[in-house]
Amino acid sequence: MAAFITKRLALTVLVIIVTSIVAFMLVHLSGDPAAAMAGEGATDADIAAVRETYGFNRPLYAQYLDWVAKLLQGDFGRSYYLRMDVGDVLAEHMPITATLGALALGFALLLSVPLGVFAALWPNTMIDRFSLWLAVAGQALPSFLFALGLMYLFGVYLRWLPISGTGSWQNYIMPAIALGYYATPAIMRLTRSGMMDVLQSDHVRTARAYGLSPWRVIIKHSLRHAIIPVVSLAAVQLGFMLGGSIVIETIFSLKGIGYLAWESIQRADIEIIQAILLVIATAYALLTLVADLLNAALDPRIRVS
Amino acid sequence: MIERSTVLAAAMSVLAAGPAFAGKDTDTFTWTTSTEMDTPDIYYGNQREALITSYAMCDSLVHRDPVTNEYQPLLATSWKWTDDKTLELELREGVKFHDGTDFDAEDVAYTLNHVAAPDSDMKIRVIVDWIDNVEVVSPTKVVIHAKGPTPAALEYLTGTSPIFPSGHYESAPEVPGANNSTRRDWGAVVPVCTGPYKVTDYQPGQSLTLERNDNYWEGSPKGKPSIGKIVYRTIKDPETQIAELMTGGVDWIWGVPPENAEMLGSMDNLTVVSAPTMRMSFLSLDAAGRTGAGNPMTDVRVRKAVAHAIDREAISKSLVGEGSAVQKSMCVPVQFGCETDVTQYEYDPAKAKALLAEAGYPDGFEIDFFAYRDRAYSEAVLNYLREVGIKANFQFLQWRALRPLIAEDKTPMAHLTFGSNGILDVSASTSYYFKGSSDDYARDDEVRAWLDEGDSTTDPDARKGLYSKALKKIADEAYYLPLFVYGRTYAFNKDLDYPVTPDEMAHFYLAKWK
Repeated sequence: MAAFITKRLALTVLVIIVTSIVAFMLVHLSGDPAAAMAGEGATDADIAAVRETYGFNRPLYAQYLDWVAKLLQGDFGRSYYLRMDVGDVLAEHMPITATLGALALGFALLLSVPLGVFAALWPNTMIDRFSLWLAVAGQALPSFLFALGLMYLFGVYLRWLPISGTGSWQNYIMPAIALGYYATPAIMRLTRSGMMDVLQSDHVRTARAYGLSPWRVIIKHSLRHAIIPVVSLAAVQLGFMLGGSIVIETIFSLKGIGYLAWESIQRADIEIIQAILLVIATAYALLTLVADLLNAALDPRIRVS
Repeated sequence: MIERSTVLAAAMSVLAAGPAFAGKDTDTFTWTTSTEMDTPDIYYGNQREALITSYAMCDSLVHRDPVTNEYQPLLATSWKWTDDKTLELELREGVKFHDGTDFDAEDVAYTLNHVAAPDSDMKIRVIVDWIDNVEVVSPTKVVIHAKGPTPAALEYLTGTSPIFPSGHYESAPEVPGANNSTRRDWGAVVPVCTGPYKVTDYQPGQSLTLERNDNYWEGSPKGKPSIGKIVYRTIKDPETQIAELMTGGVDWIWGVPPENAEMLGSMDNLTVVSAPTMRMSFLSLDAAGRTGAGNPMTDVRVRKAVAHAIDREAISKSLVGEGSAVQKSMCVPVQFGCETDVTQYEYDPAKAKALLAEAGYPDGFEIDFFAYRDRAYSEAVLNYLREVGIKANFQFLQWRALRPLIAEDKTPMAHLTFGSNGILDVSASTSYYFKGSSDDYARDDEVRAWLDEGDSTTDPDARKGLYSKALKKIADEAYYLPLFVYGRTYAFNKDLDYPVTPDEMAHFYLAKWK
């Protein structure tokens, strides 16, 4: 187990390093960051001055190594655009995304796991079809459309919920539902197929033969096995929500990490882009690791191998 | 985006409920745009949002009336050129900064000398680059020594050059620069000014709050401020902005898409107004042969064919919408020296084809076509070009990717836009493109000489004559093809009374609740 974790950690570090190099190159090679920073009305001299100030006229490897050197001292750099230290910018935006991601995943699990279980218990019935319909709708409906629909209904028409911003906890309800619903179909279907398999397995039949109560069989002896792949999937979905909620964050004007990444790419705010990629890559890697450990805890066979 | 807007517009148009507006009741005016402000200090940012804020919280030496465009005394009570490089200004007495200190000549000299210094990192240098130094003569008098004759000096001294107190930039943080050096981040200092409003809160990338300066000096041409609090918020998504506006979460938005304007206009609680802006949309054609001698754009007949091929009226009216107008010349009409009585090329595809045939392209040709903003407008241009046989390979890039290509002689044809940095003088538009910089794909020495002279002659009539000659030749040769001037549609709380002006600005210090 220790060797397994060490190997996974080494791989994780390697992934993060490669990601950051590729990202750094992409930002620099996709255009002139000095032109983006100087803005549209800038003359050649203005742009040259920006290039000089930020050291873009030096070789790329030197700029990259500078960034790494600063990072190793715990310095994420400075956002040229927001004129704040990147660490402070992240500290402002991270909690918003983390809150949104956790709420969205919570919503997705609360909705999809029970639905998956019911669908598996009564396959090919109205319940199963309703669950399937819900899943298909979640996959087919673009998230922006669903988000705008929620906004129209609860924000504009009924006026129950605030439309944008992060002023109160109510601000998170619509975004969490919109974001979480997107993850619902995959989790639901995986739970359903897992449950179907497990319910037909020998140990469940044995448990039933012993006369254990049906819910005990379902929760303790079936769901526990069926949920293993769901845990991995949920971890990946959470990673996706932390990094990929650009659309939802933009629509509801939540100033989270996804929104910040999108804005920063557009204005070539390199140090922020680098920091976000680093954070997201790390989060993904850690979540995958945690999922593996959780799986190991849930399934002794994984622990042994 | 257009489809999304339509979906929401359709959904929301059924809504007829009358929302309770918080704005007037709480004396708080909230406005929103989709651009995050990079700094409220206009010297270090060049966004409209920063300029709007700057006008509300700061005073400059000279005020340009947003309705009549006349120059009026603001912090300077009078001025005169003692020779063509020396501008003498008398200053107002009894004015106080928001921090309580008195305004005097030292503050003017400090602010302008700071930003005019070559290493000041100022964003749009043209605004202060003409200043050699500012000299304090007495507490109520300064002399600005210009590097050369600067006819547009007064324009530069309007709202784009606010005055801060002496020592203002001393609190600028020291941040890492290139090569392990450090530099000062001047733009990180929140402005302290003498204007009608003062900043009480600034959250970078999120919001900015202004409160009424009850001690604002009497007799200012900007008037006494009326609304208590002005709050700026960034909301990226246009549909979200509309939803907030409809429910009273915000009081003012701009850039309303044409397809939503009508729906918002039909609502009882909103006012919808369109106005022209200063942003021009035009085609840059490689007349100078910078991309290669064989480039078809070097032939004036081809350039004229391009001009005849495009229905500018249709694009402006049907696509860009209210507030937009066909651009007749390579400048915007509100700018000093903008000659619009120049050769016009009416929409005539047959004539375009004939000109192409005459130039040796009876079957048209292929060419690289670059653009970076408003894809739909560029695609409309491409369709017109295709009609006459010009097959354009469309490359839509971000500005930072396009800018180096322009500088490196790689754009035979580009669809560009420019807002002249808000400066109402042709030296900021025509001269920007035709004086031999890397943006100049005409490289006409005669035009350049006229513009050079116009930019450094103080006699207004002589300047007009020179710019007129330059603009007429640019049109005769069809060097660049002006297409349209952008319009903007504003939608705001109907309780709000403020003048919508044609300078793409929002003069909120003039706003009142009805």
